[in-house]
Amino acid sequence: MKVIPFPGASGTGPEENWLAELEAALSGTGQGPRADSWLQLRDDVRALAPPMDPEFERELGQRIAERSARSVPKRPHRRLGWLRPTAPAFAAVPVALAVIAAVLIAAPWRPANHAAGPSTRSSSTSARANQLGPAFGQAENAPVAGAIHAAKSAAPAPSASASAGAATNAPLVVSGAAAPGRVQQLGASISLSATPSEVQTVADRVSRLAVSDGGFVQSSHVNETEKAGEATLTLSLPSTKLNAALAALGQIAPVHAENQSLQDITNTYNAARQRLNDATAERQALLRALAKATAEGQIDSLRERISQNRGAIARAKSAFQTVSQQASTAEVEVTVLGDKSPGSEGLTLHRGLHDAGRVLTVTLIVLLIAAAVLVPLTLLIAALITARRMWRSYRRERILDAP
Amino acid sequence: MSLTDHSESQASLATERAKLDDEAFDRLFRESAADVHGYAISLLGDRTAAEDVTALAFERLYRSRSRLDHRRGTPRAWLFAIARNAALDELRRRRRQPQSELPQELSGDQDSEAALEQIARRAAVRDALSALPPREREVVLLKFHGQLSNSELAKALDVSESNAGTRLHRALTRLREECDELNREEIA
Repeated sequence: MKVIPFPGASGTGPEENWLAELEAALSGTGQGPRADSWLQLRDDVRALAPPMDPEFERELGQRIAERSARSVPKRPHRRLGWLRPTAPAFAAVPVALAVIAAVLIAAPWRPANHAAGPSTRSSSTSARANQLGPAFGQAENAPVAGAIHAAKSAAPAPSASASAGAATNAPLVVSGAAAPGRVQQLGASISLSATPSEVQTVADRVSRLAVSDGGFVQSSHVNETEKAGEATLTLSLPSTKLNAALAALGQIAPVHAENQSLQDITNTYNAARQRLNDATAERQALLRALAKATAEGQIDSLRERISQNRGAIARAKSAFQTVSQQASTAEVEVTVLGDKSPGSEGLTLHRGLHDAGRVLTVTLIVLLIAAAVLVPLTLLIAALITARRMWRSYRRERILDAP
Repeated sequence: MSLTDHSESQASLATERAKLDDEAFDRLFRESAADVHGYAISLLGDRTAAEDVTALAFERLYRSRSRLDHRRGTPRAWLFAIARNAALDELRRRRRQPQSELPQELSGDQDSEAALEQIARRAAVRDALSALPPREREVVLLKFHGQLSNSELAKALDVSESNAGTRLHRALTRLREECDELNREEIA
């Protein structure tokens, strides 16, 4: 029998060369007896396998042909297709997020004072007026009689005429943030931005707003030139409508600055009321004494005192009305600043850059939060999938190592 | 199909790796079905199981043909990777070792000297192959039945190319040694 030695029998060279020689031999590019022996070995190994059953081959071929005939071109990964966004989808996600952020930040329904660039807010008193917003709203809707009742509980009941006077000048009694029964005087100043040509228009709209809210313009001064302009208005508004009026002013023009003040005048109010009550009580006592008096001198003296008392009552009533007026009305100073670059209505470069910066910031924050959630989740899922694949592979391979 | 023809067709298949349309799938079936079956029956030693694995391999390849990635090798390499997994799963289900008993009957024209020599040589190869450890025998079967390049073999085994080369080198060296030993015994 002819024995053909296997290649490499005289000692194997480097493994790479050995593999390259094998590859060349099996691909048909190798020459010589060594290559022939590799081909012969391959043929011998392949020849050991029994041929496929023709019946099975025919049936399998038929099934393949039928399946091919039935198949229609499918989109890859149909079931999980939605999990594999295409390139445009990848680009659309950040764009959509940016648009949503832009809409939320620069929404048209957002109050104008938030849209203005260097807007400031402050409160000038110990009590922060802007924290009392809900309380103002409650006071606005509260019945006036309730406010009077609360005021009555803090002081002796005045005469009928005094009560009538108090009712017409019902003081604002702030509840919630302040103790019930307290009387407070509200005030505010607001600075609006406008172009020089719009100063007069804005001032007119402010005046109309004051009248429509039941108030009036105490003073108005408008100075308008070609390059700059300024208007100063002092409004007197019902205290109950101060918050709504400030919001409405913010809708007229961008708010440059806003300041609200609150002063507690309960003591002053009570003192004025007490003086009025005392004067009224004194008059009634004098009238009773006059009715009982018989002596001429006594009668003249009582009439003189009643006359003096009448003046005291008038002064006390006036003082009380003044205090009530302070409580029921709020003074608002409105300044309209006309500037060439007011950052007011319309889109300016500064405002656009500011909003763009905010959009980018919000977008980055959203992406950061999303990444904080998705990255660990993705890593966990990837680790689980990898572990599952490794476990399956290990179980498969283990069968080859079993004894 | 001759081996030269197969090499040419494999090269043509390699050029259309990205997609495996129905026509290419049919061609791959015609060219590879016998080889897959040969690999499976050599590994499993059971005709029915080999037929199941062959059918399953083509079924899985057809279902996943849209995911075919040229970076993961040729369709033929992918087919044999699927067939290997299916065969090993089949072995695991049956809780049995890869079949080491290859068919005892070797066909051939026993009248000619060359045929007799071939029968003797193949008997030696069969015995040598049966003597190999299961893992090495499986590498030899995959290499020769699948006619895979070393890189394709590595992908089918899911190991690095150098690791696959080392395994193949070790398996063929041992096969050669076994065959030489058997030949020497026969001569003696």
